[in-house]
Amino acid sequence: MKPAAFDYAAPTRLADAIDLLVAHADAEPRVLAGGQSLVPLMNFRLAQPGFLVDLQHVDGLSDIRLTDDELVIGAMVRQSTAEESADAAAGAPLLVEALGHVAHPPIRNSGTIGGSIAHADPSAELPAVALALDATMTAAGPGGERRIPAAEFFRGPFETALGPDEILTEVRLPRRPGGHAFVEHARTHGGFAVVAVAVDLAVDDAGTVTRAAIALSGVGPTPIRATATEQALVGTVPDAESIRSAVAATVAVLSPAGDVHGSSETKVDMARSYLRRGIELALDRAASRR
Amino acid sequence: MTTVDRPTPPVRTHKAERTWVGKSIRRVEDPRFLRGRGGYIADLVLPGMLHAAVLRSPHPHARIVSIDTSRAEAAPGVHAVVTGAQAAELTDPLPDFGPNPAAHTWRCLAVDKVRYVGEGVAVVVADDRYLAEDALELIDVEYEPLPPVVDPLAALADDAPLVHEPLGSNCAYDRTFEFGDVAGDFERADVVVTDQLRWHRSGGQPLETVGAVAEHDPATGGFRVHTNSLSFTSYLFMVATALKIPANRLDIVPMPAGGSFGSKLFVTKPLVIAAMCARLTGRPVRYLEDRVDNMANCDHHGSDRHYDVRMALTRDGKITAIDIDTVDDYGAYIQFGVGHHGNALAQVVGPYTIGSVRYRVRAVLTNKNQQGAYRGFGSEVNNWMLEQMVDKAARELGMDPVEIRRRNFIRSFPHFIPTGNVYDSGDYDAVLDKTLELGRYEHWREVQEQARAEGRYIGIGLITAQERSVFSATEFWFWFDEPGAPVTSMPESVTLKVDATGAITATLYSCAFWGNSPETMVAQLVAEEFDCDPHDVSVVYQSSKNGLPATGPGGSRTTVMLAGAVEGASAKIKEKARRAAAHLLEADPDDLEWRDGGFEVRGVPEKRKTLSEIAIMLHLFKHSFDEDVESGLEESKVFDHPYTTMPSADRKDLGVFYPFMGHACHLPVVEVDVETGVVTFLDYAAVHDCGTLVNPRSLAGHIQGGTAQGIGTALYEEFVYGPDGQLQTTSYLDYPIPTSLEVPELKIGHVETPSPWTPHGIKGGGEGGRMMAPAAINAAVNDALAPLGVRITELPLTPDRIRAALRAAGHGS
Ligand SMILES: Cc1cc2nc3c(=O)[nH]c(=O)nc-3n(C[C@H](O)[C@H](O)[C@H](O)COP(=O)(O)OP(=O)(O)OC[C@H]3O[C@@H](n4cnc5c(N)ncnc54)[C@H](O)[C@@H]3O)c2cc1C
Repeated sequence: MKPAAFDYAAPTRLADAIDLLVAHADAEPRVLAGGQSLVPLMNFRLAQPGFLVDLQHVDGLSDIRLTDDELVIGAMVRQSTAEESADAAAGAPLLVEALGHVAHPPIRNSGTIGGSIAHADPSAELPAVALALDATMTAAGPGGERRIPAAEFFRGPFETALGPDEILTEVRLPRRPGGHAFVEHARTHGGFAVVAVAVDLAVDDAGTVTRAAIALSGVGPTPIRATATEQALVGTVPDAESIRSAVAATVAVLSPAGDVHGSSETKVDMARSYLRRGIELALDRAASRR
Repeated sequence: MTTVDRPTPPVRTHKAERTWVGKSIRRVEDPRFLRGRGGYIADLVLPGMLHAAVLRSPHPHARIVSIDTSRAEAAPGVHAVVTGAQAAELTDPLPDFGPNPAAHTWRCLAVDKVRYVGEGVAVVVADDRYLAEDALELIDVEYEPLPPVVDPLAALADDAPLVHEPLGSNCAYDRTFEFGDVAGDFERADVVVTDQLRWHRSGGQPLETVGAVAEHDPATGGFRVHTNSLSFTSYLFMVATALKIPANRLDIVPMPAGGSFGSKLFVTKPLVIAAMCARLTGRPVRYLEDRVDNMANCDHHGSDRHYDVRMALTRDGKITAIDIDTVDDYGAYIQFGVGHHGNALAQVVGPYTIGSVRYRVRAVLTNKNQQGAYRGFGSEVNNWMLEQMVDKAARELGMDPVEIRRRNFIRSFPHFIPTGNVYDSGDYDAVLDKTLELGRYEHWREVQEQARAEGRYIGIGLITAQERSVFSATEFWFWFDEPGAPVTSMPESVTLKVDATGAITATLYSCAFWGNSPETMVAQLVAEEFDCDPHDVSVVYQSSKNGLPATGPGGSRTTVMLAGAVEGASAKIKEKARRAAAHLLEADPDDLEWRDGGFEVRGVPEKRKTLSEIAIMLHLFKHSFDEDVESGLEESKVFDHPYTTMPSADRKDLGVFYPFMGHACHLPVVEVDVETGVVTFLDYAAVHDCGTLVNPRSLAGHIQGGTAQGIGTALYEEFVYGPDGQLQTTSYLDYPIPTSLEVPELKIGHVETPSPWTPHGIKGGGEGGRMMAPAAINAAVNDALAPLGVRITELPLTPDRIRAALRAAGHGS
């Protein structure tokens, strides 16, 4: 469990980091963020990049900014920093709640927000949050900067819209008042989700759902939106029965792959249960915040 | 049951007033380990040391057609590459206690054929482990895949592919033992309860994996090997044989185990690989398994059993007989034979007065890593099976789980169970009473009822089970008609040295710190003898070369055996000190009594000599004494197994082989989320009785830790081999182990029923928690699901298995 040989650079400027990726393109370079996913993969020799560009010292990637309508988190913000940030709590409480489910504190001390999203593990929590919140990812490459909406960002397991010479610089999360919930099943605390559900919704004074965004992790190659459930909820005052049928609309079309942690049927059972719980919790919170 | 002569050892009288034995002193090992000064294999760096890495088979079953190592040999930093075929010339097969070692030969690397995913095929020795792993990628092996043997039941079919051709079958052992009138008891039974049960394999997960650092001395042809397995003092010859050297050329230095839980017991493979490579390269070599090596290839996977069981009862709930048929999937080799079933037979009837037993065991070989030892050594599986059966019987008879157990408790001791093993002492009612109180049984029954009314599923598990201790090796050979060995002694030794200042050093043999607390135990036992502070006792470990006979930790024997050795060595020291004191005090030795750290003339407290006053005289002024007194104050005791007897020739009585019988009651309370199958703990009480306690807190640590592992076995851990023979759980991503967040804080209670036959009445307790928790948690989950008509008989109880069972019972969502 030792990595194959690689070269390494630790630039301080984003432009230099991009230049390095371009210059070493033949070596199948990778950027190194917190190393909590990449280094294990290298130790197992499942990843054998010939060149690592360490982003640790790159200026301007570690800020958290809260404006009236969005929370902007630098890609290199450590997961534990975001978890403890008052701005993050105010701007995206769903993200903060989800972070509590990502690994263990020592891993969150190194692991980054950008690293988790760029890594795009189909069982990871943050991609589901990004999808539910309609986040926008800012990517910088040799051709300049571009913004990629979450719906287009996650392409497959460990596969994103980022090009090989692009660096994720920040994640922009729109501020959306309402109620949120992040619920999941992991085999043990801190483990990857078997099934996770991120819910973000709003209700009016009458209790009518005015907006619903729900995403799941662990049930497909990428996080997915529970669009049918969202549509069934919006415009209604949900009760137990209508929540159940709204959930059923999504669950009916799920066909997750089974693995050592659960068969496809069990994952569907879990999705059903956690969708319901997530929606109920988010509705409660939305109501109590009005 | 055939009648055999049943001698019992003389009953001891135990000291009533104890100063140190029984106190929860701080563990003397802690300062070293808590400060990161343990000194593990990974910390040991010798000048010029090279590093070995092993190429592992990606196939479960394949013929090795060819191996080309030329590219690897030419790689940077590489000193040697050894294939299995070459290793077979450099070394002999590894020590193997299996039924027919010549027909299932086990070597440090595979030759001709690989038999499981992860089996070693070649080893590279390089300047560092990175370069060694680089070179592994350059070894070209051509395999001819063979159909894998994965399902042990299918492996028994006549046309199944063979794991070992010379054996002619995949069944390495098949025998039925009968103890008592089984057929008659079943005929007379009012009720017969039957079931099928399935226990999947898991294993101990040590923080440091198994490793060795070997040095070869070309001048003598000998080796000095540091390893975190045993020092093999009594078994050195077996390891030396594998290295093809005389045993007196081998010195094994024990290193702290970094956790074993059984999994480092008698591990020779890394040691032999490191030594072979050291001899070949002329440099010290470290071979330390990494986590993937360990999970796939540690040779210490736990039991993997299918059970078909019948239990005979009277209508009022008295269990009269049990008929057990088990198929155990041993994997590709069978190093310890079916000793795991000997462990089961030591306490096969649990704490109950069951009169007859039939036990059929079939040991099946498959394309998996082999079984070794894991806390309980197979007896924990029997506990689980038996308690499941008792609970099922209670259900069928409409009895409460407490009531059926009380109806069947053994209450007079010593008690010989049908297999011939003896239970020395016990008070099962006292343990049960204490558990019911500590675990608030009645309270939880009320809560359970309310919860059920609200559609919540709370379950209370209650099991009472045995915790055998201090094994005798007859359990490794009573399987055969011709054992070819008399009863074995399984010794353990201690040397005590009182230096010129009166300070005491205890030397231990056979292993270093093993995760248990041998140093604390010895320090307390020595302090008890000599009235000193246990923290002032120095405890050191000796390597095998100057070692005294010693067997090592296993079968919960360490504390009892060390207590016997300390007692014996102390008696010798006191005898010499008494003579010296008598001489110095000009008194008759018989008039002296030991009091408060010295000898004094009985009734004349001012006429006394402390141990340090005596010691300095004996060390430096020997000529003050009689001619036959030698300088110094140092004595050793080789303590042999205090009570073990021969099996009968017809094997209808296996004799005494595990006589010091602990007992425990566990009472977990769980809630099952029926939508997701997730189990959470609401409470957990555990009361253990392993005789006189040396250190209640360190025993509580064992109970807590063993229960944590039992929770792993019950809910989380499983080595999963797919139908294609691939190991699907090769890291902790796929093999979840419970963390402190999954393990509840236990309410622990102790009952102390001293053994009549051991020093101070101590019994072993090192495996306790794991012997009870799987049974208890399974019982709790089944209790929770009872209203839904669901009962699960397969461990671990993953959310997936629970959901599958609920779906099968019509509880879709
Ligand atoms: C024991 C353990 C448990 C874990 N449990 C969980 C869990 O429950 N849930 C979970 O979601 N994660 C879990 N993780 C993973 C953890 O959250 C990682 O921190 C995260 O997945 C990756 O973040 P990182 O900063 O460590 O990235 P790295 O490991 O450094 O990089 C990961 C990948 O992303 C790429 N990358 C990183 N940053 C950028 C960037 N700015 N632009 C472009 N590409 C980039 C890298 O090149 C690499 O391919 C666990 C990890 C461990 C070790």
